[in-house]
Amino acid sequence: MTQVRLDSVRKQFGNFVAIENLDLDISSGELVALLGPSGCGKTTTLRMISGLERPSNGAIFFDGQDVSEQAVQDRNVGMVFQRYALFPHMTVEKNVAFGPSVRGESKAEIARRIDEILEVVQLTPFRTRFPAQLSGGQMQRVAVARTLITKPSILMMDEPLANLDTKLRVEMRRFIRDLQQQFGITTIFVTHDQIEAMELADRVAVIFDGQLAQYDTPERIYRYPRSLEVADFMGATNIYPGKLLSRNRVRTALGEFDCPHQNDRSVGDPVHVLLRAEALDIKTRPFTSEGSVLRGRIMARDFFGASVTYRVACNDQEIDVTENARRMLDVGDDVQLEIAPEQVWLLNG
Amino acid sequence: MTARERRTRILQMLQLIPILSVLVILFGGALVMALLQSLGFAPWFGINTFPDFSYFGSLWGSQTFWVSLWLTLYYATVSTLLALVFGTMLALALIKAFPGKWLYKYLYKLPLMIPYTVGIALAVIMLSSGGVLSRIVAFAGLIDDPGQFPQILKTHYGWGIIAVYVWKQTPFITLAVYAVLLGIGRETEEAAAILGARRGAIFFRVTLPQILPGIVSSTLICFAFNVGAFEAPFILGGGFPDTLPVVAWRYFNDADYTLQLQGMATVVSIGIVAGVILFAYLWVYRRYERRMGRH
Repeated sequence: MTQVRLDSVRKQFGNFVAIENLDLDISSGELVALLGPSGCGKTTTLRMISGLERPSNGAIFFDGQDVSEQAVQDRNVGMVFQRYALFPHMTVEKNVAFGPSVRGESKAEIARRIDEILEVVQLTPFRTRFPAQLSGGQMQRVAVARTLITKPSILMMDEPLANLDTKLRVEMRRFIRDLQQQFGITTIFVTHDQIEAMELADRVAVIFDGQLAQYDTPERIYRYPRSLEVADFMGATNIYPGKLLSRNRVRTALGEFDCPHQNDRSVGDPVHVLLRAEALDIKTRPFTSEGSVLRGRIMARDFFGASVTYRVACNDQEIDVTENARRMLDVGDDVQLEIAPEQVWLLNG
Repeated sequence: MTARERRTRILQMLQLIPILSVLVILFGGALVMALLQSLGFAPWFGINTFPDFSYFGSLWGSQTFWVSLWLTLYYATVSTLLALVFGTMLALALIKAFPGKWLYKYLYKLPLMIPYTVGIALAVIMLSSGGVLSRIVAFAGLIDDPGQFPQILKTHYGWGIIAVYVWKQTPFITLAVYAVLLGIGRETEEAAAILGARRGAIFFRVTLPQILPGIVSSTLICFAFNVGAFEAPFILGGGFPDTLPVVAWRYFNDADYTLQLQGMATVVSIGIVAGVILFAYLWVYRRYERRMGRH
């Protein structure tokens, strides 16, 4: 169990600044995702924590101890690479034995731990196979086992679910979660996929252009993004410019509706209103006219099996509404949209 | 077989014809002729005692043949090994980023484009007693006279021959190993480092097994060339007893043209020795590959 702290870490390659003054606190035993578009510096951050790259400025602390100058071999971290980086010339068990073997542990001890760890990752029947004879999911489990056998204080993973198909993804996600809970290892992983980040992480650090945009729980990042950029990256579609009519009412081109009380904003402030597609209720006739109500007509329908998303035209604006697919409304239907005030989120204008 | 399949098959064969004809007619024919001549078949010289093993007998029966064989293998092996060590070191260095890397990447390939004979001439200019190096050392006051400079060329230690081969073949091995290194990428090395492996363990347990195919094929080519090459040992060697290719050349060049048959026996001997060594090398490597589970 190790606590990790990045203190204004900066990394520059030639003239290119990959990471700009990044502060990050990761609690002991926490599972944190570094989320951002490709090239935002998240992999560089991971490589700096592992020791493969050295920060140009700032410091990295493990349990309060500065490790910035420590060699990668001495940090006792583990890394599962995106394409696993298994040793192609070694069998599964040789791959797994590599760490303890270069650390000079006894043959008997290594053999015992291999049996144990292969059991954990359910690869015992494959121990004499070569990486080329394994599926993607199996290769990933070998990579995990090869890392866990060294008892790392921090486990790092680069895009852990990216190369897996949908069914395997669910399986691997559970597997990683269970492992992490079982071993209680501080785990940091990198991803460009917000779903993957939300699926796995306790907390998500959103990074744009080498800077930390938001660091919070998946739920808070999804519901309460701090900026338009974060909201957009988390897949929000219904964002409208507007103006505060009072501390708890806002006007947009869609119409007027109630919002949570705004302590830090004053009446007349320009804002952006974020309405989550699944936070809207869709009603058919007869319509009522109480509270925050919008009227519109369904323009398009996307069916996803469990859910269905309607595109609704509303005062010359378009808005997406998602609901469980227990009923199906038709394109052209007149509908009424309702949103509870606490589901309305305001961003700076 | 459908008509379409037959057409692709015919096209395939057409593509193979040029290389096959070169191999079968030119190379295979020459091989057969050399073997026949070494066994006493040369009616155009008025000699036909086929099958006659006396040429091989007199060759293998003389002590100097074995000295020549030893020298041939010694020069070939030492230069191949040195080129391998330098070439691999250079390739490992080139894979990393450093200032001026682009210049290095051009410079190291230079010897590949310069002919062996030029390399030999350079060795004569630089390394001979009275050459540039001896004068520099004398000028620096380390020796009183360039003539006191240690003999590098024209000794049976073959430092001159080895120097030329290594100079010429290091970039070749670098090129081969560098290409393989680029293919395998840095990730397995990084994974090994994170798992706690130091530099030596990373190289011998992770990098080397992966670049071995490149090492084997490039050293195979260098060794085969070194065993059969003639001009460097001829010019830079220590004289009698010469390496086998030089011995063969002397037979071919003799006023007594019947000695050409003896020369052919020498050439065939070189072929047999080189063939046995190269196949043994490949056999050992294949066994290693199979043990590693590769096919």
